[in-house]
Amino acid sequence: MSGAVPAAPRPAAPFPAAAAGARAGFRASLRREIAFLGRSPVDLALLAVLPLLLCALLSWQLAGGVVRGLPVAVVAADGSAIGRGLMAAIEAAPGLRLAAKPADMAEAERLLRAGAVRAAVLVPADAPARIHAGAAPVLLLVNASVPAAAATAEREMAAIVAHANAVLARERLAAVAPPGAVRPPPVAALATFAWNAPASQEFQLLSLLHPAILHLLFMLAAVSALGRELRDGTARSWAPAGPAALAGKLLPHLLVFLGWSALAILWLAGVRGWRVEGSLPLLLLGSLAMYLAYAGVALLLVGATRTLSQSLSLTGLYAGASFAFAGAIFPQQQANAFGRVWSDLLPFTHFARLVARTWVADAPLALAAQPLLPMLAIALAAGIPGALLYLRAARAPSAWGRR
Amino acid sequence: MLSALRAFLAAVLADRAAALLLVGAPLLYALFYPSAYSGEVVRKAPVVVVDEDGSAISRRLVAALAAEPRVHLVASLASPAEAQLWLAEDRAVAAVLVPADFSRRIARGETGTVALVGHGAHLLQGSAALAGAGAALAETGREAALAQARAAGPPAPPALALVTRPLFNVREGYGAAVFPGVAFVIVHQTLLLGLALVAGTARERLGRPLRLPLRQLAGLALGGLVLGMVQTVWFVGFVFWLHDYPRAAAPLAEVLAGAALFVAATVAAALAAASLVTAREQPLQLGLALSLPLFFLAGISWPAEATPLPLQAFARLFPTTSGLELMVGLNQMGGRLADHLPAVLNLLLLALGYGLLAAARLAAPAPAPAPGAAAGRRR
Repeated sequence: MSGAVPAAPRPAAPFPAAAAGARAGFRASLRREIAFLGRSPVDLALLAVLPLLLCALLSWQLAGGVVRGLPVAVVAADGSAIGRGLMAAIEAAPGLRLAAKPADMAEAERLLRAGAVRAAVLVPADAPARIHAGAAPVLLLVNASVPAAAATAEREMAAIVAHANAVLARERLAAVAPPGAVRPPPVAALATFAWNAPASQEFQLLSLLHPAILHLLFMLAAVSALGRELRDGTARSWAPAGPAALAGKLLPHLLVFLGWSALAILWLAGVRGWRVEGSLPLLLLGSLAMYLAYAGVALLLVGATRTLSQSLSLTGLYAGASFAFAGAIFPQQQANAFGRVWSDLLPFTHFARLVARTWVADAPLALAAQPLLPMLAIALAAGIPGALLYLRAARAPSAWGRR
Repeated sequence: MLSALRAFLAAVLADRAAALLLVGAPLLYALFYPSAYSGEVVRKAPVVVVDEDGSAISRRLVAALAAEPRVHLVASLASPAEAQLWLAEDRAVAAVLVPADFSRRIARGETGTVALVGHGAHLLQGSAALAGAGAALAETGREAALAQARAAGPPAPPALALVTRPLFNVREGYGAAVFPGVAFVIVHQTLLLGLALVAGTARERLGRPLRLPLRQLAGLALGGLVLGMVQTVWFVGFVFWLHDYPRAAAPLAEVLAGAALFVAATVAAALAAASLVTAREQPLQLGLALSLPLFFLAGISWPAEATPLPLQAFARLFPTTSGLELMVGLNQMGGRLADHLPAVLNLLLLALGYGLLAAARLAAPAPAPAPGAAAGRRR
C-alpha cells in the first residue's frame, strides 16, 4: 500500500492498475481528511460537538413528553360550589395548574395575552340556576397561538367537566329527576394511540428532530469537506482521481454521523424506553441511505457552484426546512403541488416514513424497507452527476479559489 | 455613519453569498416555506373501520364517519388485527373499532363503547381523525338516546356543557400557528449569518482581528437594523397577508416598535458572534443548524411550561425566545408592548449586553488607519 499523495494533478492510471489505484486513492483521501480534521477545530466542532450539543438540548427540552402544569385562570362568577369544584379539579389535574382567579373576563384576557395563563375558564353567574335545566354553559378560552398548550387545556377540561357531570348527576339530579332518567350516555369512545399510549410528543418529535438536525449537520460537513479543497486550491495536492477518492474523503463524516444516529436511537429506544417495534438493522440501514443521499446532493451542489459559501447557503435552503416538509407532523398530502414535489425530493421525508414503519410500528419488512429506494435513487441521481462535476472542478485550477 | 451604512449595503449587494442570505433567503423562504402547511387544518385523514356489530346503529355510525370532513374512510376491515396491520403499514392514521356487543348494550340502556385507535407516529393527524370519529359518534349517540328514550323515558341532560373558543389563531390553522414564529427565526438567522459572513470576510482580508472606528461599527449595526426591518415589513405586511395568517392585531406602531427591539437585539448578538469569526464560511458551517433548536426553545411548538426551568432560562439568552413571544403576541393576540413587559425587558437587556460585547471586541480604541469599507467588500 502506498501512502504517497500523487504529485501530478492528473494521474492517468493505466487500465490494469485501475483497481489498485482506486484503493490507494481511497486510502490516501481517507488519511488526508482525518489529518485535516485533527488540525481544524471548526470542522471538528461540526463533526463532534454540534451534533451532540443540539441533539442533547432538544432531548432535554422534550424529556417531559406531555405538557404538565399548564397555567389556567378561572373566573368563578357564580360564587357557588360549581366554580369551586372546577378549581379543585383543575388543581388536581396533572396537565393543569390554577394560576389565577381574576374577577372578570377582561382581566382573564389580559392574562392570556401576556402569556401568564394559557387558558381561561368562565363559570357564568347563572350556572347554579341552570344546571337543573341541564347544559349550563362553562366557557373555555384557549390560546390557539400555542397549539400544544391549547390541545392539553381542551383535553383536560373536557375530562374535568365530564367528571363533574357524573358527580352532579349522582348528587343533585338523581334527587329530583324521575328514576331511570339519569343513566349512562348511550355511546362512548375509548381513545388510545397505538405504539404510543401516552401520546408522548417526546417520541414523535425526537425520533424525527434528531435525524433532522443530524442530516443538516452532515450535509454541512460534507459540503465543507468538498468545498474547501476548491476554495483553498488544495485540490492540486489532493488530486482526486475518481469516485474512490471522493468516498475516502467523505467516509469519516459518514461514519461519525452514523454513530450519532445510533446514539440518538439508543437514547430514545434504550434509555427512554421508546423501543424499536420493527427492525433496528433496517433503521440503521435507513440512516445510512439517508446520509448517502445527502452526500450525493452535497457533491452536486459543490460540483455545480464550485463555491463553498454558495454551496453552504444552498444547503441551508435544501436541508434546513426538511422538518416542515417531511409530512411527519402536518400531513404532506395536504400541501400544495409544490410542497408535495419538494417534500418527495428530500431524503429526510423518506427517512421519516421509515421511522413510522419500522421504529414506531412494525410493518412487514418489504413495505417498511420501501423508503430505502427513493433515498438511494436520490443518492445516485444527485451523486453521479455531482461526482463528475466535482472531479472536473477538482482538476481545473480555474475553478479554485472562488469565494 | 450614513456613508458607512451605504458602504455596507453596497458591499452586501456585491457579495453573492451575503446577498443570497440577507435578501434572497427571506424572499425564497417566504414563498416556499408556507407551502408545506398550505392545507392549514387536517382534512380527510385516512381511517379504517372494523364493524363487528353489523347492526343498524353501527351501520349508521359508519355512514356518519364517512360523511365527516376530517375523515377519509379508506377501508372496512374484518378484524382488529387487520386494522392494526393497516396502521403499521402506514396506510391509515386511525382505526375505529365497533365491538360485537355495541348495539346490544345500547338496547339494554347501558353504554356502547367504541374503541378509537390513533397512530402513535402521527399524533396530529391521528388526533384530528379521532376528533372526527368522536363527532360522528356523538351524532349516532343522539339517535341512540332517542331509541333508548322510547323504552326508558327521556334522559336527563348533563348538568354542565363545556363551550370551547380558540383565541387569537381563531381558525386553529397549523401554518398560522407555526409560520408567524418561523418568520422571525428566519429574520434572526439571516442577520446572524449574513453579518457574521460579512465580518468574517473582512477579517480574512485584514489578516488580523477586525477593529472598526465606532462610527463605522454603528453604520454596520444600522445596516443590519435596516435589513431586519425591511424583512419584518415584508413578512408581516405581505407574506402574512398573502397566506391570511393573523397579523398586526396590536396597533401598527407597537408592532413596529416590538420588531425594532427584536431586530436590535438580533443585530447586537450577530455582531458579538461576528467578532469570533475568523473565516468567511464559518458562520454558515456552524450557524445554519441552529434554526430548529432556536424555534423549539422559543416555546411555540412546545410550551415553556413543559420545558425544564434551567433550559427556559438558557433560552432567554437568544433573541429569538423573547422575540418570537413578542412578535407572535403583538401580531396575533394584540394588546400593547406593556402586556409583554418581561419579553421587552429581556430584549432590551440582550441588545445592551450583546451590543457592549460587540463594541468591546470590534470597536477600534483610537481612530487607527481605517480599514476602509473593508466590512464586506467581495474578494
